[in-house]
Amino acid sequence: MRYSELMATDPDAVDDALFEELRKYYSESEIVELGMFLGFNLGYHTFFGTLKFYPIFAPDGRLVSQEESEQIYGAEPASLTEKEAV
Amino acid sequence: MTYQVEPLPLSAIDDPELRGLIEKAEALGVPGSEFARIVARSPVHAKPFLRAMMMSHTEGNVDHKLKEVIRILLARFAEDPYFSRLRSVKARNAGLSEAVIDAGAGDYEDSADFSEAEKCALRYADQMYLDASKVDADFYAELKRHFSEAEIMELGAFIALQFGMQMFMRTLARASG
Repeated sequence: MRYSELMATDPDAVDDALFEELRKYYSESEIVELGMFLGFNLGYHTFFGTLKFYPIFAPDGRLVSQEESEQIYGAEPASLTEKEAV
Repeated sequence: MTYQVEPLPLSAIDDPELRGLIEKAEALGVPGSEFARIVARSPVHAKPFLRAMMMSHTEGNVDHKLKEVIRILLARFAEDPYFSRLRSVKARNAGLSEAVIDAGAGDYEDSADFSEAEKCALRYADQMYLDASKVDADFYAELKRHFSEAEIMELGAFIALQFGMQMFMRTLARASG
């Protein structure tokens, strides 16, 4: 999760120490798998965000319009909104 | 250049399909041999990513030279030394010069090297990760004046995948390397 957050917000902070820490828990293959996954999501979520489409289901399972979905889920990802509020 | 995860030597890769993709990545110039041999450490992920990167860069309806300029603009913005120094062999053979690359990755708005459509595509890449709020409904309306919806999706998906892998590679580059 630290690798994920830093790749997006402060890539210079992804240093030798962080990789040393990663290697305690993950194989080189798993680190590559993680890094590709994180990069892919970093690139695509921003692109998808510009397209302004939202989940078609509400949290309670109802099929909702794009307008209602935007109101439910908001224009900003909840994780980043919460991060700013800390 | 050295990396936090070093590229595998080609001799260590037995899978003929993966070896073929790595050889193609090197022959095209982008995404290059080192990236391909790093991601080869996770073969099940390396194969679809390498295919998608090479297909989205060299195929489709948007001009390859324009996509190559966009790719380098993004790599310089991502401050990724690996992808910044790579060059597409296909684009070079088609006449893309370093001067045009520098113009595209720099002050392209005032450059005579690009059409209005090309400037709009460069702006799409430029703003996507600089200030995505500017890539709004008005911006997409402007894009649609120059490109079909299929071409816009081709561009957007290309930009997203390239930038994502550039940021990944940036984290792998060792500071001393």
